[in-house]
Amino acid sequence: MSQDTEHASTGHGPYDAGAVTESAPPGSGAAGMERILKREMHSSRVVVSVIAAALVALVCGYALLETAVRAIGQPPWLVDPLTAAQRVVALPAGVRPLLLTAAGAVVAMAGLFFFLNAVLPGRRARHQLPDRRAAVVVDDEVIAAALARRARLAANVTKEQVMVIVARNRVVVNVRPTSGVPLRSDAVLDAVRREVRDMGLSPMPDVQIRVSTAGVVGA
Amino acid sequence: MNNTPRVLNRILIGFLGLGLLAIGILLMLLATVPAVGTWWHEWAGGLLNSWLELFARTQFPGRQESWLWLAICLVLAAMIGAMVAWVAQQGKGRTSLIAAEEDPGGVPGTVGIGGGVAEQALRAALADRPDLAGVTVATYKIRGETALKIRVDPRQGVAPHTLAAEVSSLVEALDAVIGKRTPVLIHLGSGARSRFGRAERVR
Repeated sequence: MSQDTEHASTGHGPYDAGAVTESAPPGSGAAGMERILKREMHSSRVVVSVIAAALVALVCGYALLETAVRAIGQPPWLVDPLTAAQRVVALPAGVRPLLLTAAGAVVAMAGLFFFLNAVLPGRRARHQLPDRRAAVVVDDEVIAAALARRARLAANVTKEQVMVIVARNRVVVNVRPTSGVPLRSDAVLDAVRREVRDMGLSPMPDVQIRVSTAGVVGA
Repeated sequence: MNNTPRVLNRILIGFLGLGLLAIGILLMLLATVPAVGTWWHEWAGGLLNSWLELFARTQFPGRQESWLWLAICLVLAAMIGAMVAWVAQQGKGRTSLIAAEEDPGGVPGTVGIGGGVAEQALRAALADRPDLAGVTVATYKIRGETALKIRVDPRQGVAPHTLAAEVSSLVEALDAVIGKRTPVLIHLGSGARSRFGRAERVR
């Protein structure tokens, strides 16, 4: 701390500037920041994990109840484990085929849901912004709202006449012009493009505009 | 940006998914293809018989019941415990101190700066802005390094890059106050308040 004040009192213009730029690039946390950003752009699968854990715990809990009841030689609550096992072995018999197929389909769908959640990348609807100090992530909804505002001002229409969809690599601006008022779609597209470039999103999306043929009356 | 075990999550979910998928397909095949039924009777029947033998061999001396039931109970209880532990791992990593270092001065001891300092400072700096619906600041410890997560909920239509630059300059001011550069993540999100609240018109 004392060193800092010394610098400030003795050093002038160029020396000070050098000290400032030296501290500007992110220091120790740069590698950790990369990891944090990567994690922030992808889903952590917390909700699915909790569902899966609850499901397994529930099944185990019921099995534990029946097994414990059996172990201490009491009558079963719903079904004795051995009887259940025998019924499972005899399976196509004892259950209507339609019911069995439906149950199988439901279980398979649940399995597919969990499996896809494990395998798919799970990208979140977010983009990164460049910043010299901090890592910045923005929800796509925020970007869409800002672009919609920009498009609305450029097109001179009301808020309800503009809808913006932001995807990972694509921004689609939907404009419904006011009936009787010509809309210069190039100007709107240009304004939105400039705004996107100013944001410096990564990944950088491509901007498209769709002007609907039906206008809005009395807007 | 917390310490949620993401790889573990995916592995366990994947195993559960594959298991359920196999069971579901087996059930559907059993109901529709008779040949699968005969194979299943043979295979599962053999498995059940070997278990029954095992139960017969593991009886308590002088009693009818098998101690294998107790063993199964223990395994199931351990399974439930593992599931609880897995859930408890989610979202871990919050910490209360943003910086803690030994004081080089004459007095022995360490100096700790609580995460509340950063939170209060940033909240106070952003409190009067009409274009924000909410600010939350949280401190996390990630791989032994503290990091700050600033979540800002702008109202609809606020340009994210200018807002990010302004928050970032506040963070730089905070660096000067705390005297240490911690990794900072700024998240401009859209919560219920910014979605359903009024749009920002002035500015």
